[in-house]
Amino acid sequence: MKLLLFPSYRSTDFEVHRNWLAITHSLPISQWYYDTTSEWTLDYPPFFAYFEKILSIPALLVDPAIIDLQNSNYSAWSAVVYQRTTVILTELVLGIALLRFVRGTENISVQRIISASLFFHPGFLIVDHIHFQYNGFMFGILLWSIYQIRQGNKLAGGFFFAVLLNFKHIYMYLAPAYFIYLLRSHCMSPTGELLPARFISLANTVIVVCVVSLGPFILMGQLPQLLSRLFPFTRGLNHAYWAPNVWALFTAADRVLLRYVKGSGINVVINESGISSTSRGLVGDTVFAILPDIKPAHTFLITILFQSIFLAKLWKTPTYKSFLASLTLCGYTSFMFGWHVHEKAVLLILVPLSLLATSSHAYCRTFVIASVAGVYSLFPLLFTPAEAFVKLSYALLWGFFTLLPLNNHTYEFPASLPWVILDMFEKTYLGGFLLLHAVLTLLPLLSRSFESLTFLPLMLTSIYCAIGLVWAFLRLSAIYLTQE
Amino acid sequence: MDEVSAFVPPEGAPKRQLRDRTTSFNSLPYIKPAKLRVGIDTTKPVLRNRASASSMKSAGSPTERSEIISPIPRRHLLQTSESQHWLHPPATPPFAVSREPSPVSATSTVASFRRRKASTQHMNFSALMEQERMRSFPSYQTIKPNDHEEEPGAGRRWVRWMHKNGLKQWIVPSAVGAAMYWKWCIGLGGYSGYATPPIYGDYEAQRHWMEITIHLPFHQWYTYDLQYWGLDYPPLTAYVSWLCGKIGTMFNPQWFALDQSRGIETPDSKVFMRATVLALDTVVYVPAIYLFIWAWQGTRSSRTQHLALLTLLFQPALHLVDFGHFQYNSVMLGLTLFAMNMFASGQDLLGAFFFVLSLGFKQMALYYAPAIGSYLLGKCIYLGPVHGLRLFTRLAAVTVVTFLVLFLPFLPPFSSFTTILDPITRIFPFNRGLFEDKVANFWCATNVAFKWKHWLASNVLVKISSALTFIGFLPSVIGLIQGSIKTRVWSSSQESTQAAQIESSANTPTLPLLPYALLTSSLSFFLFSFQVHEKTILLPLMPMTLLLSGSSPDSAAFSWGALMNNVAVFSMWPLLKRDGLGIQYIATLVVWNRLIGYNPLRLRKKSFVDLLSTAVYGACVFLHLLEFVFTPPARYPDLFPVLNVLVSTPVFVLIWLWSIKRGVEVGWALEGLPGSRNMKTSASQDRFGVESTAQRAAAANGESMRRDMGVRAMSLGYGESRRRLPFRAQSVEVEENS
Repeated sequence: MKLLLFPSYRSTDFEVHRNWLAITHSLPISQWYYDTTSEWTLDYPPFFAYFEKILSIPALLVDPAIIDLQNSNYSAWSAVVYQRTTVILTELVLGIALLRFVRGTENISVQRIISASLFFHPGFLIVDHIHFQYNGFMFGILLWSIYQIRQGNKLAGGFFFAVLLNFKHIYMYLAPAYFIYLLRSHCMSPTGELLPARFISLANTVIVVCVVSLGPFILMGQLPQLLSRLFPFTRGLNHAYWAPNVWALFTAADRVLLRYVKGSGINVVINESGISSTSRGLVGDTVFAILPDIKPAHTFLITILFQSIFLAKLWKTPTYKSFLASLTLCGYTSFMFGWHVHEKAVLLILVPLSLLATSSHAYCRTFVIASVAGVYSLFPLLFTPAEAFVKLSYALLWGFFTLLPLNNHTYEFPASLPWVILDMFEKTYLGGFLLLHAVLTLLPLLSRSFESLTFLPLMLTSIYCAIGLVWAFLRLSAIYLTQE
Repeated sequence: MDEVSAFVPPEGAPKRQLRDRTTSFNSLPYIKPAKLRVGIDTTKPVLRNRASASSMKSAGSPTERSEIISPIPRRHLLQTSESQHWLHPPATPPFAVSREPSPVSATSTVASFRRRKASTQHMNFSALMEQERMRSFPSYQTIKPNDHEEEPGAGRRWVRWMHKNGLKQWIVPSAVGAAMYWKWCIGLGGYSGYATPPIYGDYEAQRHWMEITIHLPFHQWYTYDLQYWGLDYPPLTAYVSWLCGKIGTMFNPQWFALDQSRGIETPDSKVFMRATVLALDTVVYVPAIYLFIWAWQGTRSSRTQHLALLTLLFQPALHLVDFGHFQYNSVMLGLTLFAMNMFASGQDLLGAFFFVLSLGFKQMALYYAPAIGSYLLGKCIYLGPVHGLRLFTRLAAVTVVTFLVLFLPFLPPFSSFTTILDPITRIFPFNRGLFEDKVANFWCATNVAFKWKHWLASNVLVKISSALTFIGFLPSVIGLIQGSIKTRVWSSSQESTQAAQIESSANTPTLPLLPYALLTSSLSFFLFSFQVHEKTILLPLMPMTLLLSGSSPDSAAFSWGALMNNVAVFSMWPLLKRDGLGIQYIATLVVWNRLIGYNPLRLRKKSFVDLLSTAVYGACVFLHLLEFVFTPPARYPDLFPVLNVLVSTPVFVLIWLWSIKRGVEVGWALEGLPGSRNMKTSASQDRFGVESTAQRAAAANGESMRRDMGVRAMSLGYGESRRRLPFRAQSVEVEENS
């Protein structure tokens, strides 16, 4: 099915990955993290580089031009077909993991819906198959790891997660939950005594993985260079298009206040550079006009603070369900408060959250809100008209096939008046997406003259999705913290 | 046991008598004695005799059980084809094979079924029976689950899943949505003439027509710069183009600027063009399919209906040509389908209107004209001199008026006399060659051995091809007319003037012949006529897919239909390859075959079709591999297209023959219609003379059933309930065994 999307729009990430294929193929390993032939330097951890290296071998057979380092912006049909095929094939890792999930669960039919929904997740369709990345593969590894943990095979779970971290470091967001959970449930007995043998085996596993991955670079003394590539802290608080998180709301509030201040003439200190900086869509620093500036340290602190709350809960109840929830929440917190979060990171929330969705109606409803908002927030990744219909119809179909049956399976009637009102609000919010989409579609047609408003649709999308995601975050935290 | 006995209350002779009276009320004296005998005999030995000899009535259990007469759903067209089933009883009930022989009557029934099955190999729409039996017989699945699990097909599983999850009412919208998504994705790929100046391809042609129709007055439409994609479709296409062009100009006038916009391929104009195809398809073709399911398969279980809908929605060939290659065939096919639906519901005038629209959209619909024309003529004959003549004049009036309206701008009051000649000469280009590209038809295939163009002059070829085409569709025409003549007698007899009026608004006996006739006639055009395109295979493909859509996976219609669909797509491969649609070619084929649960690469050797399919698929795969590995030698640059033609043509010829054969078979079934018996006893006795005993019995029984069905829906339900009996009896045994 995804074959048909081959000719669709490709983002710069396609060229990025092609360039990486070229780098890993044509350069010796010592040059990998130094090469700057193209502006798309390799900024994933070493396992991913190895992975690209492996992929580049068949590419040589298909079309040698793919892996030519100088051949920038090469997008012949053969290259497209080859690279897209690799995405589809590597996604099978995800498929197999999901099949395993179905087996050996008590509620097969529901789990099957979940598995199917993950496999056909519009997030993957948009980000992997159209936009071009290898998220299906990565999440496949993550799910393998979770699967192993569900089966009680915690060492293997830790191993897979370590591997995953060395593929893509964005999964650091989830690491605290893994660490706490493995420490508490694997390395300690229920009464709280440390089991050194287990601890050492786990530590060794992780270290071995890291050595395999980073070893060559440590030997060559390239670690600082590698790390500087992996963690660029020079970027701004928000991405060009604001990821729908707390900071998006914060920035929006700043803009609104600015308008208000300008209009009413209240004498407030205005940071002049902020007026022009925000929302101009540059990958640069965001400076606020009225509200206080945010530094990376602040975001870091807030993230840690929230995460520690959830981790404390996990420490107390180290069960699989609790692990899943705190895993989700860790990712969620990072997404909500992180520095320069990319909107694609929303998948990090949606995937583990799907596994939780079946446990109760509250989770399910949270999942519904988060999915709808999250998937919608991915829409701006594809902005060409031809894909507009694809993403919309696909997301609608997906939502229809997964959210509806899930809702039916877990439905509970709202118990009291506040819940009924809440329920109504949530439904209104979900319905609002239709309105939002209608407005966004019509806006360019109506207002060709408003050049200044080119950013408005993105802003609207971002803010509206941010409301949903923040609400889902609060909801999920409340559920997790209150449940037994 | 409890449940079943509640279902099948024990019952004595009196009630059975009563029921018999109900039938005989409708039936005619001729058959009555036999029926009475059946009703009276209650002793076991005779019962056994009866079961094997004549009737479906052979109530299963020794204690003479009967059924509750349940409310009977409204019957539609398929009821008439269903009735052929009485002539050819259904395939052996699956569970009967797996089980050990059970005592008494059920076995004997089954045995007789089996025997009769051997004598009559092919039965169309046997799926119908299969499905209905499953529905009416709940323990079917528990008895033989294995039978059901062999390659159920993704579509079937999905439909089942939806039903189980209480999403039944959402199937149609979501299937349509999914199909739209699918079509759009196909549209992301290349199209005919993509980036090939100066003349481009079909995409540019369609766009160009939008351009000229919105900028030029009527009389220039068919004359403007003919070298650059002059309009060569009938006026309705031009009007639709005009509409699309107008809408497109609202978005961006650049897309359709006169002469300036030639070869424009900006992303947004492409999106718009694709959107027009999708919109027209959704407005015309999808509702037509939906109505088809409703009108022709209204009696089937909803799962089967949904599955049929899926089959039709995802038909690969149409998708590839319309959404990949870029054309508007679905509009023409949709209009024809509307016409068929109208015929099925008795609205002949509306049907004729729609068919003329279809003709007015693309002259290709002429391929269907012999079948539809003779169907309508047949119906006039069937209705007898008075009603028939009235219908005939009405039909003629509707047809002529519709044509006049379509061509109105080109007719005298609005333009000069000669203007009308422009569209006509453009639409029928007899000055082109016998064939252009490599088409999988008779001419192109035989051209390998016999160079027609060298041997014969063009005008002779035209005559030969016309004659062959005529011979080709003759069987279907004869079948339809003959069927009507045979059935006519009844309605013209004195007592039934009233009934004739009823009939004029309901089904016509020849209706089940119509899909086969359409298939025969369009295939004969495709195979033998002049100046055929490879895309034209879509026309014969439509009736075939309609037949396929309702059939069960083990029926002949299914095998032939799937084979034809796949081969048709294969035959368009050279075209698709040129358009850069290779990936879409693979994807659509895989998805559709998965959807209907058909695996082309699986080895089957049950019947001739299966063997043929295996051979053909083998050849296709081999050709693809060959093409992938070798480049054709310089001497024969067209080597692979020609080989493609040589593989595809025999298949199409065989399907053409099959459609004729099926047409004849269905035609036989018509003979048993009520009333014909009176007049033609001797004729049918002749027929009996040559047929086997078993067949005769079946025919006699079918005859009586026909009688019941032709008259009232009520007797249909009666027939059905009788049919169920054997299975009920079995269920009783199962319960007892367990």
